[in-house]
Amino acid sequence: MFVYQKKLQYPVRIKNPNPALARIIITQYGGPDGELGASLRYLSQRFSMPYPELKGILTDIGTEELGHLEMIGTIVHQLTRNLTIDQIQEGGFDAYFVDHTAGIYPQSAGGTPWNAMSMAVKGDVITDLTEDMAAEQKARTTYDNILRLSDDPDVNDVIRFLREREIVHFQRFGEALRIATDRMNQKNVYAVNPAFDR
Amino acid sequence: MENNNTGTGSCSFREGTLSACAPLAVPFVPTQQSAQPAYEPGQALVRGTLFPGLDLPFMNMVNKGNYTGTPLGELMALDFVIKELQLYLDTHKQDREAFETLKTTIALYEEGRERYVRLYGPLTITDMAVADTYTWICDPWPWDYRDETED
Repeated sequence: MFVYQKKLQYPVRIKNPNPALARIIITQYGGPDGELGASLRYLSQRFSMPYPELKGILTDIGTEELGHLEMIGTIVHQLTRNLTIDQIQEGGFDAYFVDHTAGIYPQSAGGTPWNAMSMAVKGDVITDLTEDMAAEQKARTTYDNILRLSDDPDVNDVIRFLREREIVHFQRFGEALRIATDRMNQKNVYAVNPAFDR
Repeated sequence: MENNNTGTGSCSFREGTLSACAPLAVPFVPTQQSAQPAYEPGQALVRGTLFPGLDLPFMNMVNKGNYTGTPLGELMALDFVIKELQLYLDTHKQDREAFETLKTTIALYEEGRERYVRLYGPLTITDMAVADTYTWICDPWPWDYRDETED
């Protein structure tokens, strides 16, 4: 089960509201490579994993991603606080505003609601861990692109932290995959799927 | 925790080890050799990793913040080191030195946590055991905006 800690993993303090930037950052809340998908992907994949290291790393990274989801929600919330109708229209926030006011809704920057089609649980050790490595890289690229688009130092400070976490997670998934394949048939790691064939 | 120990083997701390032979058709990431060198907790939090070897910033832009001046920042830094060591140990369970560092960091965290809860309020519901009234729901919540003068 989960116990809530009433603090963020990393400080978020956005001095200047900016609805145009909020429209972009929301994609890491509920977009195709966002933190909601990341946490659900890992916390779901772990059930079929056969080795203790894999159960551990998916649980522990999946839990951290829930903390990142909270951080992204916090950024968007602070970027959209105390907005006037003029600011909403000038920032192109009107299309989001009409549906959600200043609530936090899981959608991509393009407006597509979060969709489980953006993640996979294949129930195969190599397939799932390879997906996880790709997922970390996709999230890193998204954070790179946010850093290209944003000139708000308060936002970029948090985005750089989250981007670096993707790199660390990629490393750990890579190590986890190696630990898994070391335990598999060394003549043919694809001979069976240890998540299913016991 | 900062030192210049470059770990085991002939690779530097910015490089990991590969096995001499590796199966074809499987992605292969080199294994991090050691939990050393490591940043101090405050710097680890700001850089987003405990490990200089994994610290690979976009366009070489790095954060310059310093959060360890506040009890909450101090706590976040220690909690972050615990998280980093947890993920490291998940794939390096035989690393005795990293395990000992985890244990000392947890001890420091527990101390700081107790101080923080006394001054600022609960972090988890079980902190209500020592509270006079039901302060769990009191503002600020983590997502509330607070300017620096409110600290």
